[in-house]
Amino acid sequence: MFGVSFLSPLFLIGALAAAVPILLHLFHRRTEVVIDFPAVSLLTRAPIEQHRRRRLREIVLLVLRIAALVLLAVSFARPYVAGAIAPESAPVTVVVADTSMSLSAPGQIERVREAALNAIRSAPAPNAVALVAFADAATVVVPATTDRAVALAAVPQLAAGPGGTRYRTALARAAELIGAREGRVVVITDLQQAGWEVTDEGGLPDGVGVEVVAIPPPSSNVAVTSAERRDRTVVATVQNYGPDPARMPVALMVDGKKIATVTVDVAPLSATDARLNGAIPAAGAAQVVVDDATGYQGDNIRHLVLEPRPAIEITVVVADPSGATGGLYVERALAVAGGGREFKVDAVDGRVFSSWTAEAVSRQGAIVLVGTRTLDRTGRALVKNYLANGGHVWLTLGPDIDPATLGDVIGANLGVIAAPVTVMGGTIMVASDGRHPIFRPFLNPSGALGDVQVDQHRRLNDQTGRTVLARFSGGDPALTEQVVGQGRLLIFTSDLDNHWSRFPLSPAFVPFAVETARYLTAGRQQKQAWVLPDVPRGIVAAPGVATVSEGTTAPYLVAVNVNVRESSPATTSLEEFTAGIERTSRAGLPAPVNQAREIENRQRWWQIGLLVMLVALAGEGLVGRRAT
Amino acid sequence: MAGEARYLDPAVVARLGTIDLKARTIVEGFLTGLHRSPYKGFSVEFAEHRQYIPGDDLARLDWKVYARSDRHFVKKFEEETNLTCHLLLDVSGSMAYASGGVTKLQYGSYLTAALAYLMHRQRDSFGLMAFDDSISALLPASARAGHLRAVLLALERLKIGAKTDVAKPLHDLAAAVRKRGLVVLVSDLLDDPVRVLDGLKHFRYRGTDVIVFHVLDPYELQFPFEQAARFRDMETADEVMAVPSTVRKGYIERMQGLIATYKRELGLVGIDYCLLDTSQPLELGLMSYLMTRRRVL
Repeated sequence: MFGVSFLSPLFLIGALAAAVPILLHLFHRRTEVVIDFPAVSLLTRAPIEQHRRRRLREIVLLVLRIAALVLLAVSFARPYVAGAIAPESAPVTVVVADTSMSLSAPGQIERVREAALNAIRSAPAPNAVALVAFADAATVVVPATTDRAVALAAVPQLAAGPGGTRYRTALARAAELIGAREGRVVVITDLQQAGWEVTDEGGLPDGVGVEVVAIPPPSSNVAVTSAERRDRTVVATVQNYGPDPARMPVALMVDGKKIATVTVDVAPLSATDARLNGAIPAAGAAQVVVDDATGYQGDNIRHLVLEPRPAIEITVVVADPSGATGGLYVERALAVAGGGREFKVDAVDGRVFSSWTAEAVSRQGAIVLVGTRTLDRTGRALVKNYLANGGHVWLTLGPDIDPATLGDVIGANLGVIAAPVTVMGGTIMVASDGRHPIFRPFLNPSGALGDVQVDQHRRLNDQTGRTVLARFSGGDPALTEQVVGQGRLLIFTSDLDNHWSRFPLSPAFVPFAVETARYLTAGRQQKQAWVLPDVPRGIVAAPGVATVSEGTTAPYLVAVNVNVRESSPATTSLEEFTAGIERTSRAGLPAPVNQAREIENRQRWWQIGLLVMLVALAGEGLVGRRAT
Repeated sequence: MAGEARYLDPAVVARLGTIDLKARTIVEGFLTGLHRSPYKGFSVEFAEHRQYIPGDDLARLDWKVYARSDRHFVKKFEEETNLTCHLLLDVSGSMAYASGGVTKLQYGSYLTAALAYLMHRQRDSFGLMAFDDSISALLPASARAGHLRAVLLALERLKIGAKTDVAKPLHDLAAAVRKRGLVVLVSDLLDDPVRVLDGLKHFRYRGTDVIVFHVLDPYELQFPFEQAARFRDMETADEVMAVPSTVRKGYIERMQGLIATYKRELGLVGIDYCLLDTSQPLELGLMSYLMTRRRVL
């Protein structure tokens, strides 16, 4: 039961290949001519090898070759030390320990360990015991075993991490371990209210008993829930989740040095901004640290990247840049976005644009077409190819647009009716869905589009594949979206240059233009702030600052922080927790998890076997080379 | 060639019956070929008179007795034993080598037997010592009538031994020999030359004459092997992988160097050295012995 076992014992047949070097060795010995001679001592000074050494070397070579072949076969057979694997039919007690960030308050994880020890010790005598640790994911620390000492010895490994609480993930893992046999689950958790992620799936089979050991949360918690740089200031949001006011020192750290400190007073269940001024470097990373000794420790630090995101290039194509208002309003509106650093806007007339190279055009995050009359055939082809290859174009149908050539510019028939529609007294624009990212800023009545008066616009024929994002009060489409080639096209059916409306002079114009540009360029923005468990590909899922190197873009820094959803000490009740557990039928349950495979996966003796085999082969090469 | 043709080929001798017969054949044949009696000049001692009977050699008639008594008496002499000879035969493992039909041990045994036979006929006292790294057979020197048979029997029963250690038995024997005499060493001398020479010089320093028959196989002298092979030492079992064409020159140089060393060093101390290869007639060894004996006496 405690010996070495193999997942794929048939591979051990491959060890018979070890007979090959043995046979070769014997065959080689037989074919060698041996002559008994009296004066061999007179040969010793000749440049030849003493046989004893050669024979020893041959034996060493033989042993190394046999070892390499045997190790290869054994490694493929996936060996593992079985330990005390519980039989598949034995009832099992699965101890599921919460190790999420909400267990990082002083003393909490120690209570978790103590509860786990008690649960293992008090498990019914015939039960096997398994230990699972969970946060965003659930990990089997000890598979079902009858050896309680093994499970007890693993308990000290439990430690609070930065992950969030995912009850369903943990319960699903426990259900896998239990399989079709009898079982009970002991959940050790702080009953974090945010632990029931709606997108997760998982429950326990019918008949599996659940016992919950509640770890009390801290009475209060203060967390840094956001931090961003604004010029020479870092603004951090400090949230007090406790029932009492908190007075907290907040520090800005750069490279381990304290750059700025400020003390903030935070009302109960409120948040406040901490403004940290100091000699903040232009680039690099920083941390905002709050000194909360009694609450969760995992949310006391917020990482941020100091350098701004690289600006996204946007080109506004106008008919005549010498005109007084050609593209001016949209250019100015986009230029202020993100403190003037989000977009790099350039207005060019059609003739200049036509002289650009395709590579220069492809660098643009988006192209805003305000006027097309001066675009020659080359310019039109540039826009068409840009769009077909995945570019993003915002087309306005103002007076500088030449409807006759629009098909050449876009590469598709847009169904634009050339004659503009004039609405006496103006018309207003209404979003089809206020939750659309472009119109989200206008959900607040004070920023409503209702004040915008549009006098003229062009009509679009009905077309499939076109989504109307906003309409004018008369029912004509005001803003539409459609896919052209691999690109995306937004059409604003009126003017952005104060010719057909006074919209550019309206307070709603800037947010409308900025949000539209953001919506168009969303895929081109480098995301600098990530929240666990989401991290860029290739980055370790842990709080901190890391460098992302992907594709053709230059490496850039990203800040990874804990999910502040965990920062609230609010808990659910035992009844609510128990009621939240979904029950599944035992019928059709998958086969119990192959514990042997799990053990083998953890031990990975095959890797050591292959490593030793490589060492043996290297040794064989060295000895063999000396023998030749 | 014509002169050597009358000698017996060692391979032919090997096919003869007992070692007694071999020895007699070798010696008698050898003596027949000599123009002069090897016994000439030997001192003899009067033993007794007996009455002449027809057929007795007239040269042996004692004319003085006839003058006094008018009766014919012949003189009967007892030949004096005038030399004590120790025959030392190496029976170490290396002596078992043979590239042809005769091993070095066989060759040495025949030579030793022939010498013993010759000594017996000369009424010399002789003994036998066979050794490898220790003394495996020892017959003290004697001139008794049955001693030859004992020596020949011992030679016939010799078995190949282990590792050569020529020096030790030499020292042991040198310390034991009290009477000046002759020591005949038959060996392939595949041992440390310094120790061998030291042992032989020990005899010379005690006034004993020494003749060394250095018996080697022709292959040991020429190393005519062609195929690459593993050469296993017959005494130590050490093996050496060698390509003969590569090592031959060096080997022959070392072997000739060894022979030259023995010849030079033994000559300096007055020890006769005779190199014999097992394809050569045994009579050459007898000749060397007689020449040495003549010098000794």
